[in-house]
Amino acid sequence: MSNINGKVYAMNAITPMKPWKTWILRAAFFALGHIKPLQKDLINLSFIEFARWVIVPRDGFPSLGNGQVKEDLQYDYLLFFSNFNGTWNQYIDAFSAVLSGGLNLVWRWSEKFPGSVPVTLFKEYIARVQFDTDYYYTAYPQATANDVKSAHIVQASVESLAAIAENCTPEQFAEAYLKFVLQVQCHLGETGNAPVAG
Amino acid sequence: MPNKNGSVYGLTILSPIIEDEKATPSHDLQIRNYLSKLSTREDSPFALAPGTHLARLVVMDDVIYVGMPACEEHLKSKYLIFESNLDGDLDGYLNGLAASIPEHLDAIWQHCVGYPGAGSRRAFVDYMKACQIETTFFFAAVNDKSVTETLRALQTQTAVTDFIARHQGADASTLQRDFIAFLGYLKSLPLPKAGSMGPHRPIETGGRNE
Amino acid sequence: MSKLNETDIQGFVLRGYNLPVARYLFLHFEGAKHARSLIARLLGHVTTGQRWDGAKPQSTMNIAFSQRGLERLELPDATLLTFPVEFQQGMKHRAGILGDDGLNAPERWDEVWRAERVHAWIGVNGLNAEAVEARCAEVLQAMSETGGAILLGSQDAAAEMVNGRPTTSEHFGYTDGFGNPDYLGVERSSQPGQGKLLPDGTWAPLATGELLLGYADEAGELPVAPVPHLLASNGTFMVYRKLHQNLATFRAYLDKQAALYPGGKEKLAAKFIGRWRDGTPLELSPDGPNPSIAQDSLRSTNFTYSADADGARCPIGAHLRRVHPRDSFGFNGRLINRRRITRRGLPYGRFAAEGEPVSDSEERGVIFMALNASLSRQFEFVQQQWIQYGNDARLGNDKDMLIGSHGGRGRFMVQGDATTTNPPFMCGNLPDFVELRGGEYFFLPSITALGMIAMGLVDPR
Repeated sequence: MSNINGKVYAMNAITPMKPWKTWILRAAFFALGHIKPLQKDLINLSFIEFARWVIVPRDGFPSLGNGQVKEDLQYDYLLFFSNFNGTWNQYIDAFSAVLSGGLNLVWRWSEKFPGSVPVTLFKEYIARVQFDTDYYYTAYPQATANDVKSAHIVQASVESLAAIAENCTPEQFAEAYLKFVLQVQCHLGETGNAPVAG
Repeated sequence: MPNKNGSVYGLTILSPIIEDEKATPSHDLQIRNYLSKLSTREDSPFALAPGTHLARLVVMDDVIYVGMPACEEHLKSKYLIFESNLDGDLDGYLNGLAASIPEHLDAIWQHCVGYPGAGSRRAFVDYMKACQIETTFFFAAVNDKSVTETLRALQTQTAVTDFIARHQGADASTLQRDFIAFLGYLKSLPLPKAGSMGPHRPIETGGRNE
Repeated sequence: MSKLNETDIQGFVLRGYNLPVARYLFLHFEGAKHARSLIARLLGHVTTGQRWDGAKPQSTMNIAFSQRGLERLELPDATLLTFPVEFQQGMKHRAGILGDDGLNAPERWDEVWRAERVHAWIGVNGLNAEAVEARCAEVLQAMSETGGAILLGSQDAAAEMVNGRPTTSEHFGYTDGFGNPDYLGVERSSQPGQGKLLPDGTWAPLATGELLLGYADEAGELPVAPVPHLLASNGTFMVYRKLHQNLATFRAYLDKQAALYPGGKEKLAAKFIGRWRDGTPLELSPDGPNPSIAQDSLRSTNFTYSADADGARCPIGAHLRRVHPRDSFGFNGRLINRRRITRRGLPYGRFAAEGEPVSDSEERGVIFMALNASLSRQFEFVQQQWIQYGNDARLGNDKDMLIGSHGGRGRFMVQGDATTTNPPFMCGNLPDFVELRGGEYFFLPSITALGMIAMGLVDPR
């Protein structure tokens, strides 16, 4: 069992919500999904590979008969699954430092949420509502979100250069090659093991 | 459509686990046992089946009591959570799982209520969809590249860095000739295996993996 | 915020002293009672943060304790358990996290650090060697008269003297001594570029709590600190690292690479660090050193990287840019405000002029000390994530060119542009230019806390 695979960490969290508050959260997510600039900060915090929120209404837990007892709950539940790069502390520190408004918008509807600032109480809350991953797979454990983005830039640049490589003089190629190197020069980091989690 | 972000699909499945006091060990523990022995690298079932970027399996024992004044309540069943970030469409993905790794699917999901087995694709897909919860908000850093494209790009990135290093100061003709040969070399490379750490390198970054 | 009581804070924390000679003593306590009487003896002589305002003392003395030292002083267990995990473990046990393996591994450290018997660090700084000797002699006398400690070893350090005046150079030829953060209430004036970036582009001092325990930090709270409060307040944590420098390897590598680099040797050397060797920041003067910038405190640290996102002026992986990214990560620099450290320290070993034959095995390097309220959040984070790794800078696994442990296989990309004297240039096969020879984590208590420790009056929780 591990929350970590290579450079990526699987966080799971579940928080209870009074059902009347769930509708406000749905509206918030709707806005987030449709008003692209609101996602800007999330994109710029470039250490999340994939993340999702899943609202499970209190009658939304799958009930498949066959003797399974139906759930009888008071709260709706907000499930959160994140796949992020870096350590647990680093992740939460960063969010608390620069995205506290967004965090509050999502979690203030959950019971006993203390706010995302200051960070120590916030970390205590997350530690309480986090549960561990039994099995975690990534197709590219040696790469972070940044590594992947860089790799795609390099791939695209190679393809552009390849398109003209055979049809020009050596001097023309050398010029195109310099442009190519300038395009990829910030994207050549090695990939491999992650630092040891503290 | 909130389950999708670009060309990536966010699948969230909650499968109720069979509650049977007579099972020893209990079904949730049997799932945990099986998962603990399963490879998470290139031998992973999700590396063998196509289309999975990142996926996790979590046995959720119960909801969490956050303390007074919140009310304490409990789930009547445990749930197996399957969270997957995958390429393309859901039907294709689920059929792909059933086709490539039916033994693993059965070994895990046989402990869940109403699981029909991967033998019948139709029944398997219907069962998974019955357990699917809609993803309310799905974020993807890169949402327009497949697993294959990503593995290929990572391979290219490494090769390009080596090429640039070796051709520092090379003259124009050599550069052009070698680059064309390099393109051929890139084409000839087999696709890196999904789930692997990439080619082994002696560089250590701070030590062991956890 | 409350005004700092400078007489309660050890001077080493608040001031850079600018005294060019130092000796660091490493003490081992035999028994609590005698150790406490030694501390009581030394207490009146510990240099505080009180300003000198003209009358610089001949020498200063400060003291800090390792976890093992605090244990030997018999602080209550309940108190000891409130110290941060990393401090309790000690630096040697953090080797995995810090990347202290290979040539930096504890097995290769100096004996005094390998054995983990250092209980206290005493730092003596002085105007000259005689002043340092004299002060050390007083300390040693106190030690022998009280029987409070034995001396496990010591380390001399001294600034390079040129024409009888101390410089701030280190052995690779770079001018050091820039880049210590400003904290609220600590300095009289703020130097632009040293604190935190405000949205309008100006600089403000960092929260005091990033350096000193007991004060609000950048996260808007009192940082987690040991209890009782009186023990921790006005104190801080210090990391001590003896960094050996392989001068021969460095010079050979620079010469070899410079021969291939169209910008020339000095420019390449500048690209490694982010400053020309005289200290001029590349970001402000990409074409050549400029003493009028380097020596003007209003300019020497006053820059950001937003206009240089591609690293054509200052490489993305340059040492300076790695350890103090400023606005490189967006969000107006807010992501880095809790990752700053205050550096103290001096070079050790004989300086060798350019062209003079040198050998890597000669004892020379820098005694690196960093002060911060949280070792794990500040020093360890920078070491692990920004020096031995590069993801935040979008450099993957690449390590800091100068102090990363490369093992002969490291790579450093000098980003460039289309001009002939600033081309993109890759430095490969990086060796280890710096090797760790030992060190430890210490707690630098306030004067009040020293008194409590000396009298054995620390309460358990």
